[in-house]
Amino acid sequence: MQRLLRTTAVGVTASMLMSAAVSADTLVLSTSGGVVAEATMKYFVPAFEKETGWKVQQVSAEGTRMAEIEAMVRAGNPVWDVSEISASNYPIGVQRGLLEEVNYELVDPEGLLPEIARAKYGVVTASYSTVLMQNTAKSPEGKLMTTWADFWDTETFPGPRSLREGPEYNLEFALLADGVAIDDLYTVLATPEGIDRAFDKLGEIRESIPVWWTSGAQSVQLLTDGEVIYATNYNGRASAMVKAGIPISIMWNGGALHTTYLGIVKGTKNLEAAHAYLRVRATNTESQREYLNFLPYPGSAPGLLESLPQEVAEQLPTYPANLAGQYVANEEFWAANIEALRERWDEWLLE
Amino acid sequence: MIAALKRSVLIWPAMLLIVALYLVPSFDVIRSSLFDPDLTTRHIDRLIDRPVFMTVFWRTVQTSLIVAFAGALIAWPVAYFINAQPRRSQFLLIFLIFIPLWMSVLIRSYAWLVVLGRDGVVNSAMLGMGLTTEPVQMLFTPAAVQLAMLQILLPIQIVTTYGAMTEIDLDLMRAARILGARQGQALRRVFIPLSFDGAMTGMIIAFMLSMGFFITPALLGGPRDRMLGNLIEVQVAQLNWGFASALGLLLLFGTLGCVIVLRFCGRMALRVLK
Amino acid sequence: MDRQRTLGSVLLSAWFWLIVVFMVFPIFVIIPLSFGSGDLLQFPPQQYGLRWYHAYINDPLWMQATWLSFKIALISGVIATITGTMAVIALERHLGRSRVAFTYLITSPIIVPHIFIALGIFIFALRNGLSGSQMLLIGAHAMVALPFVVLIIGASYRQIDPTIERAARVLGAGPMRAFMVATFPSLMPAGVAAFVFAFFVSFDELIIAQFLLKGTETLPMRIWANLQLDISPTVAAVASLLIVVTTVAMAGAEILRRRATQKLAD
Repeated sequence: MQRLLRTTAVGVTASMLMSAAVSADTLVLSTSGGVVAEATMKYFVPAFEKETGWKVQQVSAEGTRMAEIEAMVRAGNPVWDVSEISASNYPIGVQRGLLEEVNYELVDPEGLLPEIARAKYGVVTASYSTVLMQNTAKSPEGKLMTTWADFWDTETFPGPRSLREGPEYNLEFALLADGVAIDDLYTVLATPEGIDRAFDKLGEIRESIPVWWTSGAQSVQLLTDGEVIYATNYNGRASAMVKAGIPISIMWNGGALHTTYLGIVKGTKNLEAAHAYLRVRATNTESQREYLNFLPYPGSAPGLLESLPQEVAEQLPTYPANLAGQYVANEEFWAANIEALRERWDEWLLE
Repeated sequence: MIAALKRSVLIWPAMLLIVALYLVPSFDVIRSSLFDPDLTTRHIDRLIDRPVFMTVFWRTVQTSLIVAFAGALIAWPVAYFINAQPRRSQFLLIFLIFIPLWMSVLIRSYAWLVVLGRDGVVNSAMLGMGLTTEPVQMLFTPAAVQLAMLQILLPIQIVTTYGAMTEIDLDLMRAARILGARQGQALRRVFIPLSFDGAMTGMIIAFMLSMGFFITPALLGGPRDRMLGNLIEVQVAQLNWGFASALGLLLLFGTLGCVIVLRFCGRMALRVLK
Repeated sequence: MDRQRTLGSVLLSAWFWLIVVFMVFPIFVIIPLSFGSGDLLQFPPQQYGLRWYHAYINDPLWMQATWLSFKIALISGVIATITGTMAVIALERHLGRSRVAFTYLITSPIIVPHIFIALGIFIFALRNGLSGSQMLLIGAHAMVALPFVVLIIGASYRQIDPTIERAARVLGAGPMRAFMVATFPSLMPAGVAAFVFAFFVSFDELIIAQFLLKGTETLPMRIWANLQLDISPTVAAVASLLIVVTTVAMAGAEILRRRATQKLAD
């Protein structure tokens, strides 16, 4: 028994010493995995590797991403160099000092990107929207909602519906339904009365919401199974349902437009290569166009929208007709207020 | 405790795992959140001040108790049946009990959506038989969550109860019957008290596991069925480690307290049985 | 009295099968789902085909993830079972008054949310340059499974009559031999159950793996990544295949065993 113990101890120590080390000239890139990883590997990575001679190692992380980055930065040992940063994570990353400031001399020397895409701590790589999706086969007489006020109108549009679990963007939707203009949304939300008003408005509809979804996939499943007729979701989710024969119509009006970023993890040793990857990812029009065949989340590369066929372009959140009724989600507002609003939300849900 | 450690070499490997991979790391998380940057009771205060967290905590305890208790009642006869079979078939029956574990918890939740949904199997059957004219809302209710949790936790309860039963000397039962006890009496006086420990252990494992559930309540429960695990998830996503670990501590100590009470009640019940 | 007894055993076996059906019923949903050929999980599927089985078998990512999960679950299951059994003996025999304290300590990981353990171990790994280490993940899984092993084997151990082992000692067997001969066989059923459980704790574990592994994926990580972007029926195909393969393997082993015993009898 003693001998067994000793051998085990030696074995454990030895294997712990053999941990893998990432070789030099390899850029570690964190993406969302799945289709995103596949498309990134196919269209962006080869362009970058050819240009710089570096290799890319892709890791997939989604739910735990920010926690991991924070742990790395605090431990002073960033394992990742570049990471996708979602719209709602961007302000958190900035507040906590987890991201390097982007040097646009390196990323966009010719100034090809629109100003909105040149954020201080990350370059904008894609836009997507939280929009209302409706199952037209189940909607009474095929009627379609066109405004958030319709979503609240349970006489004309009876039936179960679903929203995301959390106050983010739902408060805006409630205020839009209550007649607030898009330009005034965040000035109203900045006041306690405005927040009361949004929660009161949500209270009117809560009996028609049997379930609040927690992931985009769950929302798809609820619509697919006929569990709800109307549900919000990220715009890219609609096409899979349409392909599966479920008639889904998107209400772009009143949608929340988000931008996702590519950020550089604070303290990376490969700062220059990281900037080079940001440049390739953000400005390569050809790769971005190919990418859109996979996912309808367009970037801002010069001339991208103009070069697309009509039927692809009109599925995108940045297509002018779609863009018209949307509001730009104010992620700074949410980052600053989420703690208090989340608590109130939890209490409200339990009432 | 140190002296005890010296006495027993056999516990060292287990302690190595526990200290290196559990105590030290968990301590790190709790410390980095409580001292952020200085020692603060801010998070604990918030926990006490706002009623919502305690409400959710008590609901979590309630749900877990229901699931663990129902599970124990269901599992006992199942384990008894397996134990009464010839040794060789016991192995196959246990294998049967383990089959559901090959399916990830996520996909098993989807199976419940298919069964209990508005267009689901049960509703279609009831509509077809004319039992109801409108689909009944079965998903997103406490019952749906409890049913699904029970389904996930039953294997471990059955196996724990069975594991303890295998060691009961069936001759004792025979002896009791020879001495004139009826089947029911022999069962009640001899077998049930002896198998009680295993059933109790199974119930406590199930209870502790239920306390930490979050996927099932999120997928199958309504807004009022969320559990403490769901609240922790939300805080972690926002990187509120301080508050998340405060909630974690509530979960930890709340569960430990409940387990102590459960053990006590178990001993009392056993005394009554005997 | 006999009639009463048969009625009792009929009811008992009916109850057993009812509960088995309750536990395995998801199979009857998942297997049809896995043969769907659409992009979404739809029940019943609109068209049938083997599309998602092809997708699973031909995708090296899925296959690697499956093998990695098997490997990690197997090793961590063995480690947990051995260390856990040793711990039970120590707890029951040597620790005396500290028994309760040690039992609580060893079983407490069950209630600590995995996300805490995961974050803690992740920080530990970063500090020590162990990020991405599979060994560390195996250790972590063994640690998470340890409470189950200790509880399951402990419940069984307490039912064992210690006099047999004492008798063996009196008859001159050494402590190890006395244990192997007298106590070990009685612990086997619980030991097997504990191992299988430890195996599944690891096989189904997502969060710690997600924090620790970089570049390689376990099966739950693959499933999770798949569910994030598109809930494709691959997940259903994986579950169905695993069930069918293990059932066939088990049935095969049983048939072989019966043949072997029959030959011996001849």
